[in-house]
Amino acid sequence: MKFRADRDTLLETLVTASRATSTRSGASFGIVGLKLHLRGQQLEVCGSDPDLVIEARCEVAGDADGTVLVPSRLVVDIVRSFESGAVTVVAGDEEVRFQSGRAEFLVRVAVGAEITRLGVPEQEGIEIPGAVFADGLRQVVRAALVDDSRAPQLTGVLMIATEGGLRLVATDSYRLAFRDFAGMTVVEPGGQVLVPAKALAEVQRLAGSGKADDDRTIVFRHSDLDAVFDLVDVRITTRLLRGQFPEVERLIPTSYAYHLHVARDDLEAALRRVRLVVRDTKDATTPVRLALHEGGVDLTVLTPESGRAEESVEGVFEGDDLTVAFNPSYLLDGVEAVRADTLILEVNDPGKPALVRGEGEDEYRYLLMPVKVS
Amino acid sequence: MTAPLDILHVDMDAFFAAVEILDDPSLQGLPVIVGGTGSRGVVASCSYEARAVGVRSAMPMVEARRRCPRAVVLSGRHGRYGEVSRRLHEIFEVFTPIIEPISLDEAFLDVSGGHRLFGSSMEIAEAIRARVAEDLKLSCSVGIARCKLLAKLASRAAKPIASVSGPLAGPGIFVVDPERELEFLHPRPVSDLWGVGPRTAERLARYGIATIGDLANVDAEHLVRFVGRSAGAQLHDLAWARDDRPVEMGRPVKSVGHEETFAVDVHDREQLRLEVTRMAEAVGSRLRASDLGGRTVTVKLRYGDFTTITRSHSLHRPVASSAELVKIAAALLSGADVHPGVRLLGVSVSSLETRAAASGEQLSLWEPAGGETDLASAARADLDAVVDAIRERYGVAAVGPAALVGASGLRVKQLGDSQWGPSR
Repeated sequence: MKFRADRDTLLETLVTASRATSTRSGASFGIVGLKLHLRGQQLEVCGSDPDLVIEARCEVAGDADGTVLVPSRLVVDIVRSFESGAVTVVAGDEEVRFQSGRAEFLVRVAVGAEITRLGVPEQEGIEIPGAVFADGLRQVVRAALVDDSRAPQLTGVLMIATEGGLRLVATDSYRLAFRDFAGMTVVEPGGQVLVPAKALAEVQRLAGSGKADDDRTIVFRHSDLDAVFDLVDVRITTRLLRGQFPEVERLIPTSYAYHLHVARDDLEAALRRVRLVVRDTKDATTPVRLALHEGGVDLTVLTPESGRAEESVEGVFEGDDLTVAFNPSYLLDGVEAVRADTLILEVNDPGKPALVRGEGEDEYRYLLMPVKVS
Repeated sequence: MTAPLDILHVDMDAFFAAVEILDDPSLQGLPVIVGGTGSRGVVASCSYEARAVGVRSAMPMVEARRRCPRAVVLSGRHGRYGEVSRRLHEIFEVFTPIIEPISLDEAFLDVSGGHRLFGSSMEIAEAIRARVAEDLKLSCSVGIARCKLLAKLASRAAKPIASVSGPLAGPGIFVVDPERELEFLHPRPVSDLWGVGPRTAERLARYGIATIGDLANVDAEHLVRFVGRSAGAQLHDLAWARDDRPVEMGRPVKSVGHEETFAVDVHDREQLRLEVTRMAEAVGSRLRASDLGGRTVTVKLRYGDFTTITRSHSLHRPVASSAELVKIAAALLSGADVHPGVRLLGVSVSSLETRAAASGEQLSLWEPAGGETDLASAARADLDAVVDAIRERYGVAAVGPAALVGASGLRVKQLGDSQWGPSR
């Protein structure tokens, strides 16, 4: 195998594929491989973990077709270190030469590195508008569970057919995010698929990185076991999650006793500030207290180690004064995801779920359980 | 100006054994050994009568019994020693707030702030010894020096000396004269230094380094080659009595755990599950008693051939609930291989935080994976509180999980039991 490529293009392709390997144990030791496959003028780079495969393609000046396995981390670092310009790659039996300018690396072929193969469903693909979908993913993926030791099915995002179109749902049992896409038929009526949030995060990153006028289309297909997202130059194949996704509809209260209307930007900025005193932002137990009153909301974070932060945000509040506490990062996740200028926070009781949504933005809802404070 | 002699090392004399003799005067004058009484037990403490015939701390109990067949061997009462230790601390606190506890029976004190009130370091040491003798009816030895290393060695030099005709009183207090520190330090064996364990001592011996003086005369760069970079530099400094480590107060607890060696290796998964339940349950009690919660639960297994494995699980929030700890520990155990036979089992909780700092509890929309609701979680917290209250009043063994009831009644893990080996 032999080709010349533009450094920036090659790097982007390598990085995209390597993101499938980034969480794989051993990634830091260089034993995780990327497969480089050259045919004609097209280079395909494939990275994988056991449940996710990312194949990224780019145009290169190909000289000799071939396939080689290289250590993922090292090769990404090497190409990143090159100056912009041409990179020549020549694969031998035992070593691959990466050369740019006067710099040359001979990298040992990653013998024994594993590349996962997932079956590509044969079903006909469904086209999804990329930018809109990516935007929805950005709102929902954040609510999925990251650590899968508790309940693997919660590390996924549920794509479910609704009467009006498609709904995305994710929850980690503390919060629950919904996003509806009216008129988007992606999953067959009555059907649902549970897609790992990790794969969708990559879809979101790639589909969302296009410029506004460049609404890339995603082609989606799935079987009972796997799902494929085809983007321009990238294919993401993921295993679907098994297991029962919880019945979440019933968790949503039908009405709320208290309603706060605030400027979304103001609330987000204030939350970011007061959260500074929380040392470990993953700490689910240092809450931000929201004292809701006629003039708006007073935010307070109190930590024994770092100190105290307070800020008031003006707003309109209906109901008797009430204090409710939340994990500041969880609340911020919901506030960030709202698109509308005016955000509505709805509460029933400091021990019951609260709702974050945008005014006039019915397609998105973020339900959040409070933190119980004594 | 001479360097100030502000560091005291106070070490109780044969502490556990002395407490046993105090509580049962009929043991007076007999060789008393406290430790694991079973075949795999070790000696934790022994009276001077036992020392006179060669019994030492950390010696296998089998060996100790062989050397001293007439010894009174006791399994120890950790709770009682803790109680005496707390009273010892109260005495220290009279003289200085800067106390670094090393274990139940020894501590470093920095008395630099106490001279105006209590006089010289010597006078403070005398006062501490007098209070310990009067209030606790026990004896201790005190080392006084410029630094921790020398103070610790000095307290050893102050100790009583065991002899076949009964213990000979030691000086009780030993001061290392700043002018003569090296004279004191250099003749001692290298193993007296911090960081020199049996293996390092053996390696140094191969290069002909036996005493601290030998070590001091080795070029620092050579030393690095023998024992590694960081250890080398540190040992070289210590060998020249350069030790500027301060007396550190209240080092926070890093983990809370229990471990136990079994009399015979256990192959039965069900028995191990009960043992892990017993330990996790007790760890929960201890965490709650200290107002702590931890995010990482670790189960440790040591097989018959001494290979040791650990299995950990980290949580997104600190836990202290016994039921939850039992569940996690049991799950960790079920993922471990027990086939080779388990010699030692341990459960510990780390990444601790005070529950006061953890000032809230994140509520769940529901409990995932078929777990319990918040209602059940509240009930569980109530249960823990009730169990803790009963134990406070009637003792640790007064209540415990039904699974732990066996032919010999309820087997609740208590702090310190079996810590020196199994009782049979």
